Amino acid sequence: MRTPPGPFRPTFWRSPLRGPWLTTLLGALLLPGVVVVAVTGFLSEAAYEPSLGGNAIVPVALPLTFGWPTSPPWLYALTQGLHVNAGLAVVPLLLAKLWSVVPKLFAWPPARSPAALVERLSIALLVGSALFELVTGVTNMQNWYPWGFNFVVAHYYGAVVFVAALVAHVVVKLPTMRRAWRDRPGTPPAHAAEPTITRRGLLGLVGAGSAAVLLANVGETIGGPLRATALLAPRRATRPGPNGFPVNKTAAAARVDPALTGPGWRLLLVHGDARRELSRDELLALDQRTETLPIACVEGWTTTQEWEGVPLAALAELVGAGDAGDVLVESLQPRGVLRAATLSHRQFSAEPSLLALRVNGVDLSLDHGFPARIVVPALPGVHATKWVSTMTFAA
Amino acid sequence: MRALARRYGASPVHLLVHLAAFGLALWAILHVLDLRNARNVVVWFAAALIAQDLILIPAYSALDRLAQRVRVAGLPAVNHIRVPAVVSGLLLLVYFPLISGRADGNLRFVSGIEPSGYLERWLAIVAAVWVASAVVLGLRLLLRQQLRDPVVAPGDGDGA
Repeated sequence: MRTPPGPFRPTFWRSPLRGPWLTTLLGALLLPGVVVVAVTGFLSEAAYEPSLGGNAIVPVALPLTFGWPTSPPWLYALTQGLHVNAGLAVVPLLLAKLWSVVPKLFAWPPARSPAALVERLSIALLVGSALFELVTGVTNMQNWYPWGFNFVVAHYYGAVVFVAALVAHVVVKLPTMRRAWRDRPGTPPAHAAEPTITRRGLLGLVGAGSAAVLLANVGETIGGPLRATALLAPRRATRPGPNGFPVNKTAAAARVDPALTGPGWRLLLVHGDARRELSRDELLALDQRTETLPIACVEGWTTTQEWEGVPLAALAELVGAGDAGDVLVESLQPRGVLRAATLSHRQFSAEPSLLALRVNGVDLSLDHGFPARIVVPALPGVHATKWVSTMTFAA
Repeated sequence: MRALARRYGASPVHLLVHLAAFGLALWAILHVLDLRNARNVVVWFAAALIAQDLILIPAYSALDRLAQRVRVAGLPAVNHIRVPAVVSGLLLLVYFPLISGRADGNLRFVSGIEPSGYLERWLAIVAAVWVASAVVLGLRLLLRQQLRDPVVAPGDGDGA
């Protein structure tokens, strides 16, 4: 069969820069980036402690979870900040890598052997899942949902496809990479055009793109005064005052009825048959503790504040639950996957873990969880339940 | 065994690694298909592939060909176009939901703060990188004049 015209002919591709050496170099730069993104992504799944209570969002997950630590307190801010920001920074690298190999998409004949066909299928899965993961991650972080599926579930299974296809790709391409690296760039084919940029210049261009995309966001991960430098970050805006730091969801968005947060509010502690109800004044009369802890959101932004409240371990003692395996924390929020979260024994008994009543020297605002919210070191932000109503310790 | 490998076209490791990868990928895809309202994940998968390979790459390659023709006072200006175009284009691609205002409704609802100024700040960055690039080009032209070097071959200066 004759080779069809256009991109199916090698002479169509005239860039003098393309070649196995450049692809190898771009691949070697991209690989550590995507490994960081994938590893931190699966760590985030572990940080949700999906084996406890109703914490699992993904119906059936790989057995990659473990007891998530509570120290250092900025652990989740670090892993999730890396996940989102490294994910942003690899976008230009991935596009450059795909540009460098696009002639292979049109290779004719499409497959010379069964092995080539198998490899093309795995590369379709690899490229499709890589693009899918970046598109869904980047749009989720900006709170835009143009699709009809659950983001967490789709992003998780997409990651499994990506990792599977990536491992196969790296294993079969390692010899090719080694050979290309040894052979150096070599001379471009006769039909190639005159170079208009050096390889170093192309890398610089990709690096400039990565730096721009990263710098437009990373300030909201570091927080503090650097937040204002994140020119295009979704959670860059704050309000003045001690309660002005960003929220993941306002009370209105969580459909919390403000009437339930008034003087009639009670915290209910349950442990087997033991029950104890406490008003906010009674909680304030207990020994208070102050902790400076970050709240780190799965979307990659962080805010570190000074929280004041009752240690969760002290609340557990009130109902004789100091040794309980876990505690289910429920919110006044009537609906939604995250209206409740289960904390492990390690999490509720960690010294800095608080039922916070005040922040930065004032009462919590309604949007930050008034009358009381959970603050636990290294905990994913959405598990730091706000508007707490009930804490049920495992009997 | 060797005959089989020759017929397959690669080593048995190649086949085994791919079979393992396909198994795991199939496990994940079947779980997604099993979920209500998640079937269109596969459509998005394919759409992402087509958009990148058959729309994005041809589009920027065509624009790049045009840029390669641009000369300012005889000096090739393509890299003075590429750098600002890549920076502004990538920022638009990645932050499209915020810049275009498509995420505004959701973000206002959940954060309680009106998202504002994304388009303006992106335009400011775009203006800054294009102006900076033009200034560099201007300096190169000036330097060339001072050196009285009338012939500048492609490949001089910044590697263009």
